[in-house]
Amino acid sequence: MIKKHQPLRRFPDYKSSIVRSPENEPLLINFSNSEITGPLFNKNILNENDNNLILNFSKNGEKALGQEIFVHGFVTDENGNPLKDVLIEVWQANAGGKYRHQNDPSNIKLDENFGGCGRFITSSDGYYIFKTIQPGAYPYPNRGIEWRPKHIHFSLFGSMFLQRLITQMYFEGDPLIKSCPMVNSIPDINARKLLVGKLDLSKTDEEKILGYRFDIILRGKHQTYFENKIEGS
Amino acid sequence: MVKVKNFIDTPSQTAGPFLHIGCTPSITGINIFKDELGSTPFTDISLNEEINIKGKIYDGNNEPIIDAMIETWQCDENGKYFNYQGFSRRVTDFKTGEYQLKTIRPGNQINVDGTIFPSYILFWIVARGMNSPLITRMYFDENEIKSDLMFKNFNIQDRLKTLIPYTEDKKNFVFDIHLQGKKETIFFEF
Ligand SMILES: [Fe+3]
Repeated sequence: MIKKHQPLRRFPDYKSSIVRSPENEPLLINFSNSEITGPLFNKNILNENDNNLILNFSKNGEKALGQEIFVHGFVTDENGNPLKDVLIEVWQANAGGKYRHQNDPSNIKLDENFGGCGRFITSSDGYYIFKTIQPGAYPYPNRGIEWRPKHIHFSLFGSMFLQRLITQMYFEGDPLIKSCPMVNSIPDINARKLLVGKLDLSKTDEEKILGYRFDIILRGKHQTYFENKIEGS
Repeated sequence: MVKVKNFIDTPSQTAGPFLHIGCTPSITGINIFKDELGSTPFTDISLNEEINIKGKIYDGNNEPIIDAMIETWQCDENGKYFNYQGFSRRVTDFKTGEYQLKTIRPGNQINVDGTIFPSYILFWIVARGMNSPLITRMYFDENEIKSDLMFKNFNIQDRLKTLIPYTEDKKNFVFDIHLQGKKETIFFEF
């Protein structure tokens, strides 16, 4: 049972997936109320700077260190319809590739003005934008020490649990993307490209910082289409 | 069946070992948000309706996973889903791997076609090493699900008990999740 545009659960090149993926096929069932409903969030939960990672953890008005960027894009369903009120949470390493996390073994310095998380909600046309600094690449133990491409983690809540998504945005041109086993766990090569934020100079003059465009597509209310499932069955 | 579709949805990627920074930032000492999502599924749980669920998620080596996040989604005691309550977000303990959830027992939900489902709580699980989320359900009564039509379509009667917690008493349940092996939990896709 393979959905080629979604990653394989067990992908031995990504070593920890070997013991963290089920051996049995998942049960493909019809969704019920629990999947077509979900928590909804509104802008009341947001603080003013939640979408500005350069400032939202800063002390004495100092900015986080690194190449300042903004990331923006549209969240739509598979037919291109904009999805409004989608809560997006992001988290990332600092410019040196270090996370503000007690389990990060890296001895790179923390940036005292950088927390590394933000959140925001899409507008009525499905649009979001946030500012941050370019995260650094970082090494992790896999088949020996390997390097993660620069990335920002994204978590999204659509209007139903069926749409719940956690993913990562990579940066156009990063040579580490090609060898990343997490990216390569996606069988469909074209689908991998959906994870790459594109350099977007169109708005840079206005913002005075470098822009990336990252559009996100959430699934709709249909049963998962599997490659080996006969249509109509 | 609906003929799918113009575009494909964005692929999932692992939440990684540092998901706490974005999802439960106070655990990592970051306190910039007004409040954290899903700290409790219902705001005022009375003592007499409260139930406690705890458990661990075991990997293929039978080790508890210490860096997982579980989101739960459920209806209220009358089987009704809301969009402002019923959601919780738990993480497994960095040392023991245990998660804990205080909630209420959901009622039987009535499906769109009028059929009645046994009561359950949806579990949505992400962690390092999981390229996409694992979805399961905790039911309360094994006999109820054994007679449920949905499960009768599958040849898995012997595995249905993996969806039932160990009941310590009326209020306390232990729901362990096993990713592999003889006790492998049933996971769902939709
Ligand atoms: Fe990461």
